Amino acid sequence: MGLNELGLNVEWLQWNQFTVDLVAFVVKFALLAGGLLQLPPLLVWIERRVPALMQRRRGPNRVGIFKFRLYGLLQSLADTVKLIFKEEVVPDGAHKVFYHLAPVFCVFPAFLVACAIPYGPDLNLFGYVIPLSVVRVDVGFLFIFAIASLAVYGVTLAGWASNNKYSLLGSLRASAQMISYEIPLGMSLIPIVLIYGTLDLGDIVKAQSTFFQWGVFSAPFSFLLFLVCMFAETNRAPFDLAEGESELVAGFHTEYNSAKFAAFFLGEYVSMFVLSCLAATVFFGGWQVPFVKYDTVVALMGGSVNLAAIVCHIMLVLKATFFMWVYIWVRWTLPRFRYDQLMSLGWKFMLPIGLANIVGTAVVLAVLRFR
Amino acid sequence: MNPYIPVLVVLIFGVVLGSILSGLAYFFGPKKYVREKMDPYECGVPKVTSADEKMSVKFYLTAILFILFDIETVFLYLWAKTFDQLGWLGLVEVAVFVLILVVGYVYVVRRGALEWD
Amino acid sequence: MDALYAIPQLMFYLLAGLVAISSLMVVTSRNPVTSAIFLVLDLFFVAALYAKLDAHFTAAIQVLVYAGAIVVLFVFVIMLLNLKPDALRGIRFSVGEAVVLLVTLIGFVIIGAELASPVPEGLPAGPLSVAAIEEAGGNTHVLAMRMFTSFLWPFEIASILILLAIVACVMVARKEKPESGKHNLKAGAGR
Repeated sequence: MGLNELGLNVEWLQWNQFTVDLVAFVVKFALLAGGLLQLPPLLVWIERRVPALMQRRRGPNRVGIFKFRLYGLLQSLADTVKLIFKEEVVPDGAHKVFYHLAPVFCVFPAFLVACAIPYGPDLNLFGYVIPLSVVRVDVGFLFIFAIASLAVYGVTLAGWASNNKYSLLGSLRASAQMISYEIPLGMSLIPIVLIYGTLDLGDIVKAQSTFFQWGVFSAPFSFLLFLVCMFAETNRAPFDLAEGESELVAGFHTEYNSAKFAAFFLGEYVSMFVLSCLAATVFFGGWQVPFVKYDTVVALMGGSVNLAAIVCHIMLVLKATFFMWVYIWVRWTLPRFRYDQLMSLGWKFMLPIGLANIVGTAVVLAVLRFR
Repeated sequence: MNPYIPVLVVLIFGVVLGSILSGLAYFFGPKKYVREKMDPYECGVPKVTSADEKMSVKFYLTAILFILFDIETVFLYLWAKTFDQLGWLGLVEVAVFVLILVVGYVYVVRRGALEWD
Repeated sequence: MDALYAIPQLMFYLLAGLVAISSLMVVTSRNPVTSAIFLVLDLFFVAALYAKLDAHFTAAIQVLVYAGAIVVLFVFVIMLLNLKPDALRGIRFSVGEAVVLLVTLIGFVIIGAELASPVPEGLPAGPLSVAAIEEAGGNTHVLAMRMFTSFLWPFEIASILILLAIVACVMVARKEKPESGKHNLKAGAGR
């Protein structure tokens, strides 16, 4: 009763494609956001334990519950709580509005981009097909590039608003680096579009159904370019010039502490995760199980599309985990670049190779496809 | 459902989450004003010069070149999407397009505009 | 159900209003960085308008190129020239100027309304209707096909324009003589 009188049609509230989409979106996004918020503590822990292993130290291993130390896993939790209850010191002369706004600009693009990744094949619940990406727009990964390009402002504003010369230098360096490597990043994915003929990430994954159709085999140079750009875009070692401790203290977030510092970390780790997922999706078959076709996976799961989707989702997570491991591995293996080396690598090496890669791929494909 | 409704919701969520994170310490942290604490961090020494120094023109040049090559990349995306339908014709068109820009790129490199010193 | 169909219309007015407000903020802010950030917002809302018109590619490019690249350049220039809010004169109108501005605005509104009056009923039909574009492979696809066939010359001329811009920017930023170009940053680099 009552709903019709309020001007709402009751039929509209029954299950139809729209309401299913709506509910599915809310559930998917809640799961994704929940997962993404767990990332930074976990990754910080890994990032402290892994180098400890590499350097034969112990790393954080004390914090735990009572006698259970859990390999120091709760260290990150303790750190998070500590960061939240720290005093926030806003330096004199900082531009108040932009100082507070900069972390926001670092967080929201990362979350929005994370929503465009296809996390698995379509589910089929109660006769409704539910795709496992939160957001799916016509332009495919151009959407990802568009939103990711906004992350520059977080870095730039943070440096500018802090009224600190290290911050300003760090932010200028970081933003110049991010924009410089955006071009090879964009170029590295053009051969993928040429090969698979689509901009849609879901379709790209579907096109990589057999092992040797994976992007890494059909476009190996693209993969190498992409891999380098991944590090540069997230300002991670060996391209962490933005926060070269030895020269710039901490770069653009020198003047940031407490929860705002944590917000920058959240943004960084989420974009790390997104780029890892993107690398896995575009070059390593996304949610496809290696050597096993999707139909076979469904058959193995007793014909259940939904069970197969879970298996495939785990595959994607494993692949993305591998790339995040590479991030950490490289950070503790390679020394930092010098800034002029970084820029000339981007402009004089990656850019021409990216262009040559596009032209070469196009010519080969044209000969193969058109004769 | 319009595909931009989720985009809008996620966008709002991201902004709200960022703002909450940005404001958390303001509500939970202690506030003790000490004059020295509010100085810009300069490794412990008093501030020598302000942060108003002018920056190298290279950053500006990088930004312009970025715009130009970004536009080029966007055009290439359009072509890549319709590669199969356009065939050889498209390839030749884009080859001419890229060739003209390669001239510009070579000019930039020759003039040393990409040297950071 | 009528209420539901009114939502797109409402969205348009909302977005248009946001575009207008942020544009006003761009030109009236006294701090150049504030202006730049409002410009980003402005371009973002314009992109949302494009998206609302099912021009997905244009929307993405609007954000990618304008908000993500061109305003970055503006921000760099602001930092490069180190413009301070104090250095810029705020906008203050005399009564006469305000009247002239108001009359001009009203004039524009009237002219715009005149020009826009023969509004075609409903959505466009033919090969560029929303349904036909979906049928032909989506907005991006149709746009690309048109660009590389009907609009080939503009496309090639675009490359020449970009080339000219490249040359121009290198010329503008060319190195000065080392004697005159002594910069404290360079001296401090120690290389």
